[in-house]
Amino acid sequence: MNAELINFAARVGRAISQDKSVFNALALELFALQFQYNPAYQRFSDVKGLTPDNVRHWTEVPFVPAGAFKELELSCIPAGERTDVFYSSGTTEQKPSRHFHCRESLALYEKSLWKGFERNVIGPFGNYDLIILAPRPRLAAHSSLVHMFETVRRQLAAPETAFVGKFDCAGAWAIDFEAALGALRTGDKPKLVLGTAFSFVHLLDFLAENNLHLRLPDGSRVMETGGYKNRSRALPKAELHFLIAQFLGISREQVICEYGMSELSSQAYDFGNRDRHFYFPSWAQAQIVSPETGREVGEGETGLIRIFDLANVFSVAAIQTEDLAIRRGEGFDLIGRAALAEPRGCSLMTA
Amino acid sequence: MNLPNYFLADLPPEATLSPLMISEACLTLKRNREQYLANRSLQSMVTLLAKLAENWMDSEFPFRKFALERAADTGFSRATLQRGLDNFFRQLTRENFRALIAQELGDATDASTGRLEAGQGNRLPHGRGSALNSRFWRGPEFQVHIGAGNIPNPAMMSLIFGLLTRSAQFLKCASGSSFLPRLFAHSIYDADAKLGMCLEIAEWRGGKAELENALFAEADCVTATGSDETLDSIRGKLPGRVRFLGYGHRVSFGFVAGENLFGSHSSKIVSAAADDVVAWNQLGCLSPHVIYVQTGGIVSPELFAQMLADELASRERNEPRGEISAEESAAIASRRAIYEIRAAHSPESTRHWRSEGSTAWTVIFEADPRFQLSCLNRFIYVKSVPDLKALLESADAVRGKVSTVGIAAPEEAIPELAAKLAHWGATRICPLGQMQNPPLTWRHDGRPPLGDLVVWTDFEVEL
Repeated sequence: MNAELINFAARVGRAISQDKSVFNALALELFALQFQYNPAYQRFSDVKGLTPDNVRHWTEVPFVPAGAFKELELSCIPAGERTDVFYSSGTTEQKPSRHFHCRESLALYEKSLWKGFERNVIGPFGNYDLIILAPRPRLAAHSSLVHMFETVRRQLAAPETAFVGKFDCAGAWAIDFEAALGALRTGDKPKLVLGTAFSFVHLLDFLAENNLHLRLPDGSRVMETGGYKNRSRALPKAELHFLIAQFLGISREQVICEYGMSELSSQAYDFGNRDRHFYFPSWAQAQIVSPETGREVGEGETGLIRIFDLANVFSVAAIQTEDLAIRRGEGFDLIGRAALAEPRGCSLMTA
Repeated sequence: MNLPNYFLADLPPEATLSPLMISEACLTLKRNREQYLANRSLQSMVTLLAKLAENWMDSEFPFRKFALERAADTGFSRATLQRGLDNFFRQLTRENFRALIAQELGDATDASTGRLEAGQGNRLPHGRGSALNSRFWRGPEFQVHIGAGNIPNPAMMSLIFGLLTRSAQFLKCASGSSFLPRLFAHSIYDADAKLGMCLEIAEWRGGKAELENALFAEADCVTATGSDETLDSIRGKLPGRVRFLGYGHRVSFGFVAGENLFGSHSSKIVSAAADDVVAWNQLGCLSPHVIYVQTGGIVSPELFAQMLADELASRERNEPRGEISAEESAAIASRRAIYEIRAAHSPESTRHWRSEGSTAWTVIFEADPRFQLSCLNRFIYVKSVPDLKALLESADAVRGKVSTVGIAAPEEAIPELAAKLAHWGATRICPLGQMQNPPLTWRHDGRPPLGDLVVWTDFEVEL
C-alpha cells in the first residue's frame, strides 16, 4: 500500500483532534497526493487546468460530482489492494456509486465517523441502549451506513442484536418489528434509535396500524439520516419528526438528523450546536455554492453543498453533491436533492 | 393595471377556498352559460376570439402590456414571453378557426343554434335527400380544465375550445401558474363581460380532494394535463358520467438530415433548432430534448452542436432565459458536472458547451444516440445518428410518448420520413423551428381538439 498516503492518513487521524487552523495546508497537501495517485481525478483536474501548482486554497481545487463515482473508479487504491467497496443505496439508479476502501481508509472512516457521532449524538453523558433499524453488517457489507452503525455499536459495546433490520423478499431493507418492539419496550435505560428516514416511516406505519404509542425512557434519542430512495412514502421532515416524537414518546428536540453519503467519510449533524443547523466536523469543510455561478452563496441563500473531507484520503476529498441547502454561517439547513432525473415536460408541474 | 375581482384566482393569497365556494361557483357558471352563452353562434365566438387575438398582438393592448411588465412572475424573460405570446395569438385568425371547424365539425349542424358551421352559414335543409347533412353536434354544458403549470398555452387553448363549444368552464391552475391564463380570461371578460361570467379561474396545489370532488361533481367533461399518476388520480375521482380527456407526459425531439447540412443552409437549420430550444425556455411537451443530427453531411453532428452553442449564446444576449428556481438551476449544474467529467475522460464521444457564470444555456454532444431526457431550461442534447432507422431504435424507450418531431431535411425526403415517423407513433411532425408553434388544428396527442369535446346527434331520414 502507498506509504505516502498511509502516512498522510495518520496525520489526518491526529488532525481530527485538532482545531481547524491546519485545514487549508492539509487540504492542499492532500489534493497534491490525490492528483498524483488518483488517475481519474488527475485527468479531470488537468482538463480543468487546476493542478497542485496553481491552487492556493482548498476552495479552488476541482470538486468531483458525487455522481461521477458511478462512472469512474475514483480511488488512490490500486485495484488489487481494495478490500471493501461501498455502494450508494438508490434503487432507481442504473449504476450505484462505488467508494473503494482498504484497511487504512476504513480505519480513518471509522475514526472520523465515531468522533463526529460521539460529539453530536452521544454527548457527554450518553449511556444508551442502542437500537439500529438496519440489517446486520454481514447482510449489508456494501453499505457505508451499516458500516457506520456497526462502528458505533462496537464503540458502545452494544450487542449485535441491536440491529433489528432485515431484508424483505424483494431485497429491500425492512424492519423485524417483533425485535424492534421488544428492544424499544425493554429496560429503563434511555434508548438511542438509529435509522434512515424510510425505516422510521416503516416503523411509524407499523406502530400506527397496531395503535401503539410508546414512551421511551427519559433521555432517549433518535438519529435519522435522510433519504427515502422510493422505499417508502416520503414525509416532510417536520412531519416525520413530529410523528417520531409522538409515537416513541420523546421530545422533538431529541430527534437528531445526520447528513452523510457513501462517497464521504465524515458526516454533518444538526444537533451538536444550539442553532440546529447542520455542521460538518472541523476536518471536513462545507461550502454552499450557487448552481448558477459556482461561487459561494451569501448568508441565507440557497445553493449546492460541496465538501472537502480530509478523511477521504484514499479517494477524492473534494466532493460536489447534488443536494441543496441554505447557508447558515459555517453551517447549513438541508433542503435535499434537486429532482434531477425527473423529466419535466407539460406534465410534471401539476402540483 | 388593477385586475378586478372577477375570478377566484383574483382573491388575495390569504383567501382560502372551500368546497361550498367551488360548488356555488359551478352553479353560477352553469346559470350564466344558460343565459349568456348557450345560444350564441359559433361564428360570433370566432369573431370575438379572432379580434381578441389581434388585440393581444398589439403592443398597446393593456393586457399584453401588463403581462410583459410582469414577465418575471411568469418565469420567463420579457423577450421570451413576448415571442411566446405572439406565436400563440398569431394562430388565432378567422381563417385558422374556419379550418379548425371544417376539420372538426365538417358539415354538421350546431344543435344549439341550428346552424351549419363549416363556414357556409347555411340553414339546415329540411326534408328528404338531405341525409348528408343530418348530423348535429353540441358541446358539453360544463367543462373543467386541470392545467399544468409550465407554459400557459394549453390552458389558454382549453379556454378557447371551451368557448367554441359554448361550455361553462372552470380552469384549475397548478399553484403559481394562474397569472397568464387569468389575464387572458380577464381580457375575454373585458371584451364581452357576459362571456367572462361563464368562466372561472382558480389556483390551488393539486390533490386537494375536497375542492376537487366538489368541482368534479358538477362537471360534464374534464380535461387535464399532467403526469400519468396525476391523470390516473383524477380519473379515479370522476363520477362515471363525466367524460375525461387526459393529456399525459410527452417528449419531443428534432431530426436534421445530413444532406441538408452544407454552407449557409446549416446556419439556418442551427437557427431553427435554437428557436425550438429557446421557445418557452424548452418547458413545453413540444420542446425538443434532443436534436438528432445525421452523420455524413458536410457539417458533422459535433460541429452542429458547436454552432448551436454559438447560436444559443447569441440568443441569450437578445432573448435571455431569465431566472429559474434553485432546484432547476441545481439540476442543470449537477447534470453539467457529470458531463464535464465524462468529457474529460472520453472527449471523443462527449463534448459540452455552456454559458459562463450561469446556467442560461447548455449544449451536450454525445456520440451515444440513446434518447436522453433533458433537464430543460435551454439544456439541449445533440446526438449523432447514421439514419432515421437508427434514431428510432435509439428512441425506443420513449416510443408512444413522443409528441412532436421537428425535421430539417430536403423537401423531397420529408414525406417518406414523416410516413416512417407516423408509423412509429409520433403524433406530430413539423419543420424544425416550429416545434412550439402548433397550428390551431393540431391534434393534441393525436386526438381531435373539438371532436373529442362534442357529442353528436345522428339524424337518419328515410331515403
